[in-house]
Amino acid sequence: MDPQAVEARGQARTRLWARGITLAELRRYPEVGALAGFLAVFFGFAIVAPHFLTLGSLAGIMTIAAELGLVAVGVTLLMIAGEFDLSVGSVLGVSAMVFALMARAGIPHLLAFLAALALAAAIGALNGWVVTRGRLPSFIVTLGSMMFWRGVLLAVTGGFPIAYEEQSLLMFVLSGRLPGGFHASALWFLGVALIATLVLTRTPFGNAIFASGGNPQAARALGVEVARVKQVGFILTAVLAGLTGIIQFSRFGSVDPLRGEGVELEAIAATVTGGTLLTGGYGSVIGTVLGALIVGMVRNGLVLAGAPAYWYRAFIGLVLVGAVIINLRIRRSG
Amino acid sequence: MSEGRWLVEMRGIVKRFDGVEALAGVDFAVGYQEVVGLLGDNGAGKSTLIKILTGVYPPDAGEIYFEGRPVRFRSPREARALGIETVYQDLALVEMMSIARNFFLGREPVQRVGPFSFLNMREMEAVTRRVLEEIGIRVRSVWEPVSVLSGGERQSIAIGRALHFGVRLLILDEPTSALSIKETRKVLGYVEEVRRRGLSVIFITHNIYHVYPVADRLVILSHGRKIGDFRKTDISPEMVAELIAGGITLPEEGKP
Repeated sequence: MDPQAVEARGQARTRLWARGITLAELRRYPEVGALAGFLAVFFGFAIVAPHFLTLGSLAGIMTIAAELGLVAVGVTLLMIAGEFDLSVGSVLGVSAMVFALMARAGIPHLLAFLAALALAAAIGALNGWVVTRGRLPSFIVTLGSMMFWRGVLLAVTGGFPIAYEEQSLLMFVLSGRLPGGFHASALWFLGVALIATLVLTRTPFGNAIFASGGNPQAARALGVEVARVKQVGFILTAVLAGLTGIIQFSRFGSVDPLRGEGVELEAIAATVTGGTLLTGGYGSVIGTVLGALIVGMVRNGLVLAGAPAYWYRAFIGLVLVGAVIINLRIRRSG
Repeated sequence: MSEGRWLVEMRGIVKRFDGVEALAGVDFAVGYQEVVGLLGDNGAGKSTLIKILTGVYPPDAGEIYFEGRPVRFRSPREARALGIETVYQDLALVEMMSIARNFFLGREPVQRVGPFSFLNMREMEAVTRRVLEEIGIRVRSVWEPVSVLSGGERQSIAIGRALHFGVRLLILDEPTSALSIKETRKVLGYVEEVRRRGLSVIFITHNIYHVYPVADRLVILSHGRKIGDFRKTDISPEMVAELIAGGITLPEEGKP
């Protein structure tokens, strides 16, 4: 073969290699699709929606994203570990209601807060126990749990909302107004997301979460206690949902028995938009943060753009499918 | 039988599932630095025997001795603590996780920061890269997902992992049945290396030709019973294949 042809071939191979590196490296970051979606939605609304880039608008987006994202961070960790939790919306409602009832009965807020979170943890533990002990699909178990606790909530309250006008230090810490129209919940969201990211990517427990969802048999063979990992995931998810319930109650000063309905699916949407695989073993909390921010931007941006608020769900649906397509393309390439 | 001879010895192992006898009193032993081929057709009881040895199932009857001392494993964790590790054919590694994370799964090196333990990523990277070099696997980065590796490379990494963590008894479950001839040869070479480093190996397969080149001894199971236990030098691969297929029956001769 003449030297020139060899040279040309070598160059072609080098180019392929260079391309391979970029694609391979992209594949290591599950949040790439979410970042693309985030930028598209952000600049899209910045162009078409007046006042989208004002501080008040951004604060509103953060509040929505925080209250969804806190739930979604738990859902993400659990989904990476290979399980679903559809009961987060009901747990959110139950915890908010328990806190409201106890606060109204004159019980100190901190005590009411801890009791509501303990109840959430217990529901999560029960979910996890039934799933891991009974070897049942978590989709079914938590669907049942979602309906059961919603039913209990409706039955106990008779369907009536509960209002509670007083404020307290605890409620301010959870969701007080900060300068610029932001709420304290945004700080909780960012803090929890940071800790969850550290745990997931920089600790042995995070390794165990990935392995439990990616290949539970292999994980077990290597001594990972898969059932325990999932159990912790269920408890954590429920506690975050409970925390979010009390945060929302602190912001609104009231709670109705349908509070949190639909949150489970929005949390899954934010999680999957963020690059986490529905089938487990792969994902990122940072992606979920971006996913929650996308949901917040869409909700706020559509209103600011003058579109009827009803379009919100339709738009989220489009973004979700779009982001999943991008995620899939990146994963399949190379 | 002297106690000092075997690294691990199983005596009279019986296991029933729903009344069906999967193992009907099997004796099985592995010596120090010995590679034992555990052979048998599907359903012969190979994997049940191994799952009892590794603590996945308790036996219904029989004893297990490790270095002459009686042991009773209640979980795979306890077997692992003694240095018994299994590499399963398709279950050795978690495909979507990176090579380095897989390598240290369940045994992560940590750095303490106050009350918290964080992964020591630098050590994970350095050790994994060194082991990959030893095995002769080239990757762009040890943080690449395992899915970029071939089947043989995955087996080799799983074996390299066992070596690195000081395993005493390595159990390979059908390690070569899904591999090309070239890759099979590589993995077999690696098994030799494992023995040279002083480990004992149980090599499970239903294909005698996969294990014959590296085995010291061959144990054949059929319908939950041991029907043969031979030094490799005492039997030809053709005869073993016949035995597995149930074509001929031999008296238990050449028992070491």
